[in-house]
Amino acid sequence: MGEITGVSALRAALAAEDAAIYGYGVAGAHLSGGRQAAAEQYWERHNKARDTLTAMIYALGAQPVTAQAFYSLPFPVHDRTSAMALAAYLEDGVTRAYLAVVAVSDQRLRDFGAMAMQSSAERAAYWRGSTQAFPGLSR
Amino acid sequence: MPNIRPRRRTLLASAATLPLLLATAGCRSSDVFTGPDPLAGRPRPAPDVITLAAVIAAEENLISLYRTALAGDSAATARSYDLPALLAQHEQHLTRLRARLIQPPGTATAAASPRPSAKPSAAAPARVTIARLCAAERASAAGLVRRLATVEPALAQLFASIAASDATHVTVLGG
Repeated sequence: MGEITGVSALRAALAAEDAAIYGYGVAGAHLSGGRQAAAEQYWERHNKARDTLTAMIYALGAQPVTAQAFYSLPFPVHDRTSAMALAAYLEDGVTRAYLAVVAVSDQRLRDFGAMAMQSSAERAAYWRGSTQAFPGLSR
Repeated sequence: MPNIRPRRRTLLASAATLPLLLATAGCRSSDVFTGPDPLAGRPRPAPDVITLAAVIAAEENLISLYRTALAGDSAATARSYDLPALLAQHEQHLTRLRARLIQPPGTATAAASPRPSAKPSAAAPARVTIARLCAAERASAAGLVRRLATVEPALAQLFASIAASDATHVTVLGG
């Protein structure tokens, strides 16, 4: 396997953020009260992360990937429980994507990826109701 | 049956030819092995090994703090913050970190040290508060991120994942 480039890792992270933005829109419709407020807050954070990643990719002289108009969900979402499971699933995907950023040789990107992993792992723990020993890594 | 025993003349010819062959190939006897001198003692550990040993020691200290907290705090406190579950995850961290450390037998390192299950280390305080655990988790996460620069990619990913786990522990502990 070749070395992961900064651009390819950032593009993968951007794709994960785009998927999360879409997915939170679906999940939020099935949530209420404090959980809906959390979903809105996290949706905004993913939007901000998308803008940051887009700017970083442009700064590296590359083109960002375009978000898809539609994403197929991993399972049906029809109530609060499945909505929370979807949110955790999305955050896990974002964490895995940033884990790839940690593997690049650029030190600043490694730090950026590691800090982003912490944020998404915290959000995943919120939705799941429990922490994990190795966020982003396969067991 | 043919006689396959080498004749004395053949052996003498081979002995005379070997240095010539080495010279032709650009080899000298000193070029045959250019690695560390096996008689000069153990080689210095690679930077990754030093970093990994330090991270293992830090993880052991964190586990020691948790054990002290569990021994001193009330059952209700431990349960409300789910300290046993957090401790179990730190033990998983330690297991995976140790699995990455491969050193020659007899080397005194964190990997060879006993599992910190019996009692806290001498440096551990008599009582550990939730706030202390929270600060230790935060420091651990920050320390792991600081070490990302010096290690190879796969180890950096393991450090980042453990740091992310520590960050979620901070939240659980009310930080």
